[in-house]
Amino acid sequence: MNIFKALIMREILDGKNGYIRVPIILAAVTIVLLLLSSIGFGKAIHFDGMEKEGIESLGDAIAMASEKEGDELPSAVTLGYWAMTVLPWIAFPFVVFFSLLGSLYEERRDRSILFWKSMPTADWQEVSAKLFVPIIVAPLIFLAVVIAAQIVIAFLLSIIVLFQGGPMLEMWPLGLMIQTWFAGLTMYYVHALWALPLFAWVSLVSAYANRMPFLWVVLAPAILIAVEGIFFETHRIGKWISIHMGGWMDGAFGHYDKVNTGHIDGPRDVLAFLLGRPQLDALAFSLGSLHFWVGLMIAGGFIYATIEMRKRAI
Amino acid sequence: MTDTVIAAPVVEAKGLSKSFGDFHALKSVDFSLPLGRIVGVIGANGAGKTTMLNAVLGLSSYEGSLSVLGVDPSTQRDILMKDVCFIADVATLPKWMKVVEVINYVEAVHPKFNRAKAMDFLSRTKIPLERKVRALSKGMVVQLHLAVVMAIDAKLLVLDEPTLGLDVIFRKQFYQSLLEEYFDEDRTVIITTHQVEEVEHILTDVMFIQDGKIVLEADMDELTQQFIEVMVDKGKEEEAMALKPIKHGSSFGKSTCVYKNIDRETLAKLGETRRLGLADIFVATMTGDGQ
Repeated sequence: MNIFKALIMREILDGKNGYIRVPIILAAVTIVLLLLSSIGFGKAIHFDGMEKEGIESLGDAIAMASEKEGDELPSAVTLGYWAMTVLPWIAFPFVVFFSLLGSLYEERRDRSILFWKSMPTADWQEVSAKLFVPIIVAPLIFLAVVIAAQIVIAFLLSIIVLFQGGPMLEMWPLGLMIQTWFAGLTMYYVHALWALPLFAWVSLVSAYANRMPFLWVVLAPAILIAVEGIFFETHRIGKWISIHMGGWMDGAFGHYDKVNTGHIDGPRDVLAFLLGRPQLDALAFSLGSLHFWVGLMIAGGFIYATIEMRKRAI
Repeated sequence: MTDTVIAAPVVEAKGLSKSFGDFHALKSVDFSLPLGRIVGVIGANGAGKTTMLNAVLGLSSYEGSLSVLGVDPSTQRDILMKDVCFIADVATLPKWMKVVEVINYVEAVHPKFNRAKAMDFLSRTKIPLERKVRALSKGMVVQLHLAVVMAIDAKLLVLDEPTLGLDVIFRKQFYQSLLEEYFDEDRTVIITTHQVEEVEHILTDVMFIQDGKIVLEADMDELTQQFIEVMVDKGKEEEAMALKPIKHGSSFGKSTCVYKNIDRETLAKLGETRRLGLADIFVATMTGDGQ
């Protein structure tokens, strides 16, 4: 286990630009933009010309909302924090993709594989660490940064609201915030299981390609899709890929539209909905889906092949 | 202790073969290396040296039977690497790591790594711990790698062209520290290099490889005694040729003859004798007549 821990630390260190610097920089940019827009330009979030019902500032707005829509406010604030910290999550898939793509390619290119192989670590441990870090650890780091950013933003907005004489505590729907952190993570991990065959494919290419792994990753399936389309006039491969990229959610949540239309009304409903059923539904749907299990089996095959490639690589 | 050492060779290969498509890089070679030796593996480019060492180190597949410290390298490389160390080439250390991170990593994964020892070696160099490997000079990278390797209590150390591209002072220091501070009767070191002259004084054994075959496997002392070069005195050329030199030429107006397995006293009558260097022995052996 100590060896695995050392390998994980090494992978994080190797990819620290993507895993640590990218989310921190993007979170910092978000916070700076927020600061500039609220403090830098004149009065702190002062709604010019927004005379409606005497709302002149964020403080007024929060006070008003708290009074009139007290039930909705905590959810609205929580969702607002997520919206404000969306930037790191836009970068996240790219970080995961390129980390996986380089993980077993770069070590061969710069010959450091000969050093790694002179250490008593097994190839399956190496490959596991190279999958584990981008898929399992990277989202934790991103989430940690986002949590920190949300707290900083909450703190900043609290000060503004305080100065404007609004109800500062309304900026701290901590219970809801914590719930969304956990919910986001579980949702991601369910999705990661669906996407595992795709992740494993990237990893296999990374272990296999002698050059231009990016082209291999993209072109090989693209050619398969084209061949299938031309000769069989079907689109199964493309559909399979899109299901594992996120299309499965359509199966898991698609029926919500029909059943629930009209029920979601306001941020509280949105949040209650996001926190309540999707995790369970996603899990239940996944476990009962043949697609899901076949995907995992294919992922297993790709990972096995990756380990075999790593054993032979020098 | 010595009995058990003799009983269990470090490396034992029988019918070891490796092909890349139609190319037979190793043609069913047999060899056995005991503990407490420094073995020079010498051969031209493409002779099969690296192929053989890669098999020994579990870096590639092979046919035939191979046992390194009682372990099958092709399936148990991770176990093998607890007792085997290698520097496969210059500059294989990860360039993105800082020196101290390399040390930390090896300390975390290698049960036989002695951090204090490595730090001691490093303290004698000018290598800054906080610098990235990328920013070190070529010589420093090799020094760092050697510091790491020498701090690992391994039974077998394999060095495949460890000093390629380094200047002569580094190369001398490299082999000197290897001999003085690392090698003992409980370890075996295998070295391949093109700079034969620089290692021949530290070798105990040599192995010549040509076209995927081991052409010669010998104890260094015995080997150098077998080959004698004579600067033949004027007038004794015919006598000299009668003894069938494996090679003959001329320098400074005198003919020179190289003999294998001919008594030194007999040869001394022909003229001035000297032992042949390993490089010359290699050339003499490879050109055919010496076999």
